Amino acid sequence: METIQFDVLTISGAILLIATFGIVATRGFMDWLNAYRYQSIVLSGITAIIGYVTGIWEIYIAAGLTLVIKSIIIPKVLTYVTRKLEIEFKLETNPYVSIRASVIISALLVALSYFLIQQIPFKSDQIVNAYLPVSMAQFFIGLFVLVNRRTVLSQVVGLLIIENGLFLFAMALTHGVSLLIEIGIFVDILVGILISSILLFRISRTFDSLDVGNLENLRDD
Amino acid sequence: MNALISNLTILLLLLPPIVGAGLVTVIKKKRTIGIITICAASLILIQVLLLVPRIVSEKTITAFGDTFYVDSLSAVILLSVSVVGFVAALYSKNYMGRQYDNGTVDDKHIVRYYQGFNVFLLTMLVVPIANNLGIMWVMVEATTLVSVLLIMLYFKENAIEAAWKYLIIATVGLSFALIGTVFFYYANINANTSEDAMNWTGMVHNAKLFDPNLVKIAFVFILVGFGTKAGLAPMHTWLPDAHSEAPTPVSAVLSGVLLNCAFYAIIRFHIISSISIGPEFSNQLLIILAVISIGIAAASIYFQKDMKRMLAYSSVEHMGLISLGIGFGGLFGIYGALLQIVNHAVAKPLMFFASGSVSQKYEAKAMSKIKGIIRVMPVTGILFLIGGLALVGMPPFNVFLSEFMILSSGFKSGQFVATSLVILFLVITFAAFLRHLIKMIFGNPLSEMKKGEMGKLAIIPMAILCSLVIIFGIYIPTQLQTLIHNASTIISGGGFA
Repeated sequence: METIQFDVLTISGAILLIATFGIVATRGFMDWLNAYRYQSIVLSGITAIIGYVTGIWEIYIAAGLTLVIKSIIIPKVLTYVTRKLEIEFKLETNPYVSIRASVIISALLVALSYFLIQQIPFKSDQIVNAYLPVSMAQFFIGLFVLVNRRTVLSQVVGLLIIENGLFLFAMALTHGVSLLIEIGIFVDILVGILISSILLFRISRTFDSLDVGNLENLRDD
Repeated sequence: MNALISNLTILLLLLPPIVGAGLVTVIKKKRTIGIITICAASLILIQVLLLVPRIVSEKTITAFGDTFYVDSLSAVILLSVSVVGFVAALYSKNYMGRQYDNGTVDDKHIVRYYQGFNVFLLTMLVVPIANNLGIMWVMVEATTLVSVLLIMLYFKENAIEAAWKYLIIATVGLSFALIGTVFFYYANINANTSEDAMNWTGMVHNAKLFDPNLVKIAFVFILVGFGTKAGLAPMHTWLPDAHSEAPTPVSAVLSGVLLNCAFYAIIRFHIISSISIGPEFSNQLLIILAVISIGIAAASIYFQKDMKRMLAYSSVEHMGLISLGIGFGGLFGIYGALLQIVNHAVAKPLMFFASGSVSQKYEAKAMSKIKGIIRVMPVTGILFLIGGLALVGMPPFNVFLSEFMILSSGFKSGQFVATSLVILFLVITFAAFLRHLIKMIFGNPLSEMKKGEMGKLAIIPMAILCSLVIIFGIYIPTQLQTLIHNASTIISGGGFA
């Protein structure tokens, strides 16, 4: 019984990472959104598994919120905001590091996070062992996506990946900080996404493209 | 009975901005909503001023179970939030009125502005009184979101760019802070599985039992995270953009108190980490970031061309000084740092208000286009000069005292390298800042300009701040002294060890 449970944990973690790689390996905004939606569904499943293993009912609510907010509302909002944008704004044609190299770097980041987690003295626990490195990897890959890509849309996606990583991190390590705080965090993310959508819209109207290279008026030289 | 009074105190404190935001949304008349906001801000100020003597005598107040926890340290931050909130509300009336008249904002956006302003005050009031460190994090993130909305009030390219950078950098930074918070929480539930494992009071109580390695990692995450929001270099890059592009009253609040709120979070975790593994580790990190911040600020101020950006970098410098004082430690250094928080919160908004009036008059922010302020607007010119002299630490103004305390505690604690470096940077800042200031204030205006101030409501808030700058330079009220002293003992661990 124990081993079967462990397998479920490992496999679900792996599926989550595959979804993250789906974002790293594609160029189009719609592909990212699909991968993000898929990732959020897996995340909500993982949350439910953690709820089942630990037997804390509040975690099921967090899982439900994840499912509704991250796999339905946020993708809908982003699709809605970007529906009028020209197709070339939604394609990452020219990242700083090529897609192929990005995948390799992301794989290295996964290895790095497994290594880092081993250095930190955690109480050994199957949930921590299975999910903590995955969450750290999410966090690092999100940061990498954020700095590597040029379109402002992919910066939003990078933030979303980071946030999913954070959520899993808190869940895996502490089985959820209290529900009240989690709801607060959800509200913060939702409002943050709404604000960034308004900003995206304004950037697309004010600047010629959504390349972050345009956002360089303010500097000291 | 006592609990009821405490609950009421906190409730009444948080009520004015909520009601204010609601009324602004309903009424929508340009003239009235400004006055509503001033009323809300003055109600907050009065309540905080009444709260301070209570904190001085009772030391701590808890309300709604353990949800809210106010001690002397929170009161120092509350005090700065309420004072700056009040003067910024006063100044907003004049400033936003003019922006409306010259067509920069329309009816819809002026309503948005006042809604945002009220909510912004609310979030900054909750940060220092939340006992639960998770809620504190949520509120700090909320301050980011509200202030981004306030910055993107203008449709200018630069404002959009600044808002975007601020949103992305601050959110990523705060995600580090959340990881740090979760680490501390984990350390606490491992040490003791009590109900209030996320509460500051619970953490301080158990801090000695925390795993030292975990605390070290956690504090690094916290410092990077909240340090981003507090504008400590090298994570400060969003700060000059956001502070220079925001509407002036918002710049004043951002610079004067929002940075303090973020730094307050660092101080809380610094206390926990000091109790757990001794203060050396976190002190060393704080000093390193402080020296980098002050150095970068000095260089940027030296080469600066834009008036508001110069003030923004001066905020980086002052956050560095505060961090330095906390890092040097000792009652003297910590007292100096807390005094610096108060002094900076008084002097910086004065400078932002003056620069706002000046840039409205000259229709420019570039320092090369601004000459002869004292001829064109004599009162604002004098206030600008006093504020500037205070900011660079000229005696007899207030900042001199706190900077002196911080630097002398540096020598006392044997940090000779850091202290001498900082003194060198401060001399550079002093010279560069004064050179820019004198060029703007004296001389002849580049073109013929009509002499005249920007209106009474623009002068009054500056005059209030200016009198505080002068008074605090000579005499600090006994209540405030006791308050800061008590807060210093909390930080140096006296109350818990």
